[in-house]
Amino acid sequence: MSFDFLWQGFGVALLPQNLLIGLIGCFLGTMIGALPAIGPINGIALLLPIAYTAGLPPESTLILLAGVYYGAEYGGRISSILLNVPGDAGAVMTALDGYPMARRGEATKALAISGISSFIGGILAVVGMTFLAVPLSWLAIKFGPAEYFVLMVFAFATLGSMVGHEPAKTLIGCVLGLMLTTIGLDATSGAYRFTFEQAELHDGIEFIILVIGLFSISEVLLMLEHQLKGTLRPLAVSGAYPSWADIRFIWWPSVRATVIGFVIGVLPGTGASVASAVSYTTEKRLNDKEGTFGTGDMRGLAAPEAANNAAATGAFVPMLTLGVPGSGTTAVMLGALMLYNIQPGPQLFVEQPKLVGGLIASMYVGNLLLLVMNLPLVQLFARVLLMPNWILIPGITALSILGVYSAYASVMSVLIMFGIGVAGYLLRKLGFDMAPIILGFVLGRVMEVNLRNALALSGGDPGILFASPLAIILWIMAGAIVILPWWLRRRARPTAVPAA
Amino acid sequence: MTDTSRNARLSGRIAALALLAFALVYGLFGARIEYAFASDPIGPRGFPVALALVLALLALWYLARPGEAEEWPGRAGLGAALAFLGTSVACLLVFDHAGFVPSMAVLMAVIARLFGAGWITAILGGIGQALLWWLLFGPLLGGNLPKGLLGF
Repeated sequence: MSFDFLWQGFGVALLPQNLLIGLIGCFLGTMIGALPAIGPINGIALLLPIAYTAGLPPESTLILLAGVYYGAEYGGRISSILLNVPGDAGAVMTALDGYPMARRGEATKALAISGISSFIGGILAVVGMTFLAVPLSWLAIKFGPAEYFVLMVFAFATLGSMVGHEPAKTLIGCVLGLMLTTIGLDATSGAYRFTFEQAELHDGIEFIILVIGLFSISEVLLMLEHQLKGTLRPLAVSGAYPSWADIRFIWWPSVRATVIGFVIGVLPGTGASVASAVSYTTEKRLNDKEGTFGTGDMRGLAAPEAANNAAATGAFVPMLTLGVPGSGTTAVMLGALMLYNIQPGPQLFVEQPKLVGGLIASMYVGNLLLLVMNLPLVQLFARVLLMPNWILIPGITALSILGVYSAYASVMSVLIMFGIGVAGYLLRKLGFDMAPIILGFVLGRVMEVNLRNALALSGGDPGILFASPLAIILWIMAGAIVILPWWLRRRARPTAVPAA
Repeated sequence: MTDTSRNARLSGRIAALALLAFALVYGLFGARIEYAFASDPIGPRGFPVALALVLALLALWYLARPGEAEEWPGRAGLGAALAFLGTSVACLLVFDHAGFVPSMAVLMAVIARLFGAGWITAILGGIGQALLWWLLFGPLLGGNLPKGLLGF
């Protein structure tokens, strides 16, 4: 395969006009991403008609939209880290270690680390896409229900890392997350499950309602308690950036997370939320020897950040090569291509080198622009925390309500969010971790639907789960992630230990 | 044994019993899900029933070893939490009728007051925040917020 499309693409992306458009897209995207519930889809849906009527050529439009998409990935973690309010689905795992860092006074550092690992994830994934887009597209076709099910088994195997000193609580959290996914219309049989004849529950509990309730409403309740005890002190915000040693520290976790994120992103139906959850638990499984994950470990912040940016890039692969969008946002971008009468498919790279090349080249440029733009901006964003609590906490509550209300336009959804928030508060007081609940919820529906579809295909024969080479590879990976850390620990132990 | 760890075990046990009861109710409802046909051998009841069983077993484990838990807030803490939740629910119930700005102004003011602002600061801050969020999510971002009494 020749890379003519790439050189032509850089020619397009580096035109002053397109650079400016990319910059505008990145900036708007960061701002849109920073507000909860208003995600890249809203931004793109808002800008697409404007770009079309302004008569921009297709490659400029795509560059603008890709800029918004990327910018939102960078911006979505700001509220996650500063306020424990995840800006979008991919930013949930970011809060687990990012928010404790901010509470420690390291908000600037956490935001910068998130920007840097996002850059690593984004740029490596674009390199992967440049060279592997066409060969990788077969992977997206080979994934049937059986393979998706085994992929979820692999994801749950990484959960082993979550089992801390109170395994019952971790597992209960995971089961509660799984139970929440069974609410709503069952796609396979058309049965309504646990909806109690409430129309609002027919589509199930939306992810964003769950996470905003679990994280931010329960956080407000906890802060209220500290306020009364007089232990809620204003935060210190140090302006210190991460050092080179910090960046070396997060390098390998980010690279591993990029690979996981990119592959998961390529698969249609699994997106940034699965990618960031799996990379977080994988990193914790491999590296959390001192139990620092969840208390503000930089690696726990870097891994999901790199993964969700890599997944965002990976989602372009099936969209461009097969015309199958890997995420909601790429579905809207597919619509944009069709608006210009461009039919995606394997031939796109040959027939439209300027367009594909321009898009890919703009991803290189966009990631660089975002890094350069974000590093100085984090000083500004971190200052949000210096506001007094009587301004900050009503603001968190308002953002939580607006986040849910503007997405679903229903007061009932907001009330459900408050209910989940109270449950989250009780569980946190009882020593439960929020991460297993999120993981169970993210993986549950994909797992159940694909297991049942696989068995429907095979007429009930479970042999289908081991039928393809891809499935067997995934089973081996799942086995390895369970056994490997245990085996490594054994080897690391001095041999002087008696074999009794 | 200290009072703290005794209290923690007690609240853990109560939570375990609540989870057990929840597993039971969830499982009973799950086993009675109605459906016309199922194209797969597991059907819509399979997962819920299995999950209920697993949760029940885990709840028994939790009951046996309740582990650690934090201290619960006292009477004042409970009052503040109820004030926060009560005002939130009340404001949300009138949200569509009263409109975004009035109901949010009340809620923001009450929260500001709970977090240590004086009455006047709280009221002014509440009105200010409500207007600010309305401006951002309404006219600027094109969101559809309830108009209500004030007509905007």
